[in-house]
Amino acid sequence: MSRRGRRDDPAKKTLRTDTAERLEAIVEAAERAAESVIDDAETQARRYLAQARAEAERQAGDRVAEFSQLIDTLLGQAIALQRDAERLQVTLEVAKDRFLDEREEGEQKEAELPSIERPAAAPRLRAVDEPEIRPEPVADPEPAPAPRSDPAGARLLATQLAVSGSSREEIAERLRIGFEIEDTDAILDAILGPEG
Amino acid sequence: MTDVAEGIGLEQTQALEERYLMRTYKRAPVDFVRGEGALLWDAEGKRYLDFLTGISVCSVGHCHPDVVKAVREQSHRLMHVSNLFYTEPMARLAEQLSDSSLGGRVFFTNSGTEANECAIKIARKHAHGRGVAAPEIVSFESDFHGRTYGALSATPGLATNEALGPMLPGFRSVPRNDAASLREAVGENTAAVLIEPIQGEAGVFPISEEALLAARQACDGVGALLIFDEIQTGVGRTGSLWAYEQTPVRPDVLTSAKALGGGFPIGACITGPAAADVLEPGDHGSTFAAGPVATAAATAVLALVDDPVLLRHVRELGAYLCERLRELDGVRETRGRGLMVGVGLEDGIDSAAIGADLLERGLVVNAPRPDTLRLLPPLVIDSDHVDQAVGLISESLLGFAQR
Repeated sequence: MSRRGRRDDPAKKTLRTDTAERLEAIVEAAERAAESVIDDAETQARRYLAQARAEAERQAGDRVAEFSQLIDTLLGQAIALQRDAERLQVTLEVAKDRFLDEREEGEQKEAELPSIERPAAAPRLRAVDEPEIRPEPVADPEPAPAPRSDPAGARLLATQLAVSGSSREEIAERLRIGFEIEDTDAILDAILGPEG
Repeated sequence: MTDVAEGIGLEQTQALEERYLMRTYKRAPVDFVRGEGALLWDAEGKRYLDFLTGISVCSVGHCHPDVVKAVREQSHRLMHVSNLFYTEPMARLAEQLSDSSLGGRVFFTNSGTEANECAIKIARKHAHGRGVAAPEIVSFESDFHGRTYGALSATPGLATNEALGPMLPGFRSVPRNDAASLREAVGENTAAVLIEPIQGEAGVFPISEEALLAARQACDGVGALLIFDEIQTGVGRTGSLWAYEQTPVRPDVLTSAKALGGGFPIGACITGPAAADVLEPGDHGSTFAAGPVATAAATAVLALVDDPVLLRHVRELGAYLCERLRELDGVRETRGRGLMVGVGLEDGIDSAAIGADLLERGLVVNAPRPDTLRLLPPLVIDSDHVDQAVGLISESLLGFAQR
C-alpha cells in the first residue's frame, strides 16, 4: 500500500470527517448551552430587578396612600371646622343684625312716637309664640297642662332652640310658656353664655 | 292674572284621566302646566299664588334654579345604578342628614310612607332584640303616617276601612295630647311610639309639650323607640330644620320626605345612635331609592334650607301670617308653627267651599277638615305674598258671609 494510497484511504477520510463534525457539534452545543446559561442569568437578573422595582414602587405607593389618607382626614377636619365657623358666623351676624335693628327701631320709636302711623292690618314681623295657638276645638281631652316640673325637658328645649338658631328672647318666651319658668336666665346663661 | 295658554287644556286632560286613570283622587278642576317660585300657571294661562306647594313639597318654591341645576347636571352624568353599588350623592346626602339631626344612620326611600315602613321595621326588630315577641306601635288618633300597609295600620283614621282589611297587627292609638293615656298604653310590649310632632293631615295640630315629654319618658321606661314622623314638619317648614328642635324631646328615629327633594320624590329614615345598627343586610332594601338624581336634588334643597337666616325668616313670617289671619272676620284661630298654618274657621263656614272659591280667585290652599284651611306656602315667600294671600282669604270669607 503506497503513502498516497494510505492518505486517500476512504475509511480514514470518513472517520476524520465524522470526528470533525462531532467536534463541531459539541462546540456548537457547548456554545448553545453557554448562551442559554447567559440568557437564563439575564432573565433571572431582569426578574430580580423587576421584583425589586415593584417592591420599591409598592412601598412608595403605600407611603403615598398613607400620606393621602392623612391629608384627606386633615382636609375633612378642616372642612368641618370651616363649616362650623361659617354657621357660627352666620348666627352671630343674625344676632348682631337683630340687635342693631332693635336698637335702631327703639331709637326711632322714641324719636317718632307721637307721629307714627302704622296700618292696623299690617303688624310687624315677630317670632312665633305659643299663646296664640289656642286649644283645638275638637272633642279632645282636657287641654294638657304645661309640663311645669321637667328641668331636663326645659334644658333640652332651650338647647335645641339655640342650636336651631332661635334668639335668647324666643327661647326665654318658650320656657316661660311651656314650663312656667319665670327666671330663665340660669338656663339661658348656661347654654348661651351670660347676656352681654 | 292671565298669561299665555299652554298644553292640551283642562277638558282633554280630564277626558284622558276619566278613561285611563284609577279613580283614587278627587281633583280640583285646574290643569297646572308651569311653576316658578310661589307662582303657578294653569293651561289657560291663569296665574295662581301657591300656598300649598304640593302639600309642603316645593318648599323652596317651584322649580328652584339650584334644584333644577342639580337635577339637570346629575341626570346628564348618571341616573341609576341601584343599591348594589356606591354613588357619591347618596353618601354625601346621608352625611348631611345625619349631621344635621340625630347623628346615626340613614335609609333612603322614594316616599314618606316608605320611610315610615322602614321606621316600623326598625322598631319591631329593636323590640325583638329586647325579647318582645309581639311588638306594638302606639300612635295618636288622627295621626297620618301613610298609605302602605304598615304606615296605614299606624294611621287610625284610615285603618278602619274594612274594605282594605285586615290591617297589620300590633298597632294601637290614644287620643291626641292625652299624656295619661299614652303613658298607660306604653308597656313592655311597646316597640315604639310613632307620632307627628305637629299633625298635618288632621288639620295642623301641634302636639303639646307635656304629651311629647310623656312619650319620651314612657319609651325610656320600657326601652321602646320614640319615632317622629317629620314628613310634613321637616326640612324647615316650622322654622327649624326639624320640628323636634323646637320641642323638649329628641326622638330616636325621624322620617322625612315631601320637601326633602324640592319636588323630586325622595324620603329618608334617619336614626340616632340607639337605632343606627338595628337593620342589617337583607332586612330592607329598595331598587330606586337613594338614586343619584334624587339625592342630588335633596342635597341642593338642604343647602338652601339649612340656613339660619332663612329659618328665622320662616318663624317671623309665620308669626306675621298668623297675626294677619286672626284679624279677619270668620277666622276663629290659627294653629301651627312657622309656615305650617291651620286656619280654624268660625262655625258654619265650610272650608271646602272657601278653598274652592280661593282657587277661583287665584290662591291655592287646601281644606283638610270641614272647619280648617291649611296653608303651606313656600319658605321663600315675602310679606307681600302674605299680604296678597290674606287679602284673598279676607275677600272670600266676606263673600261667604254675604251669601
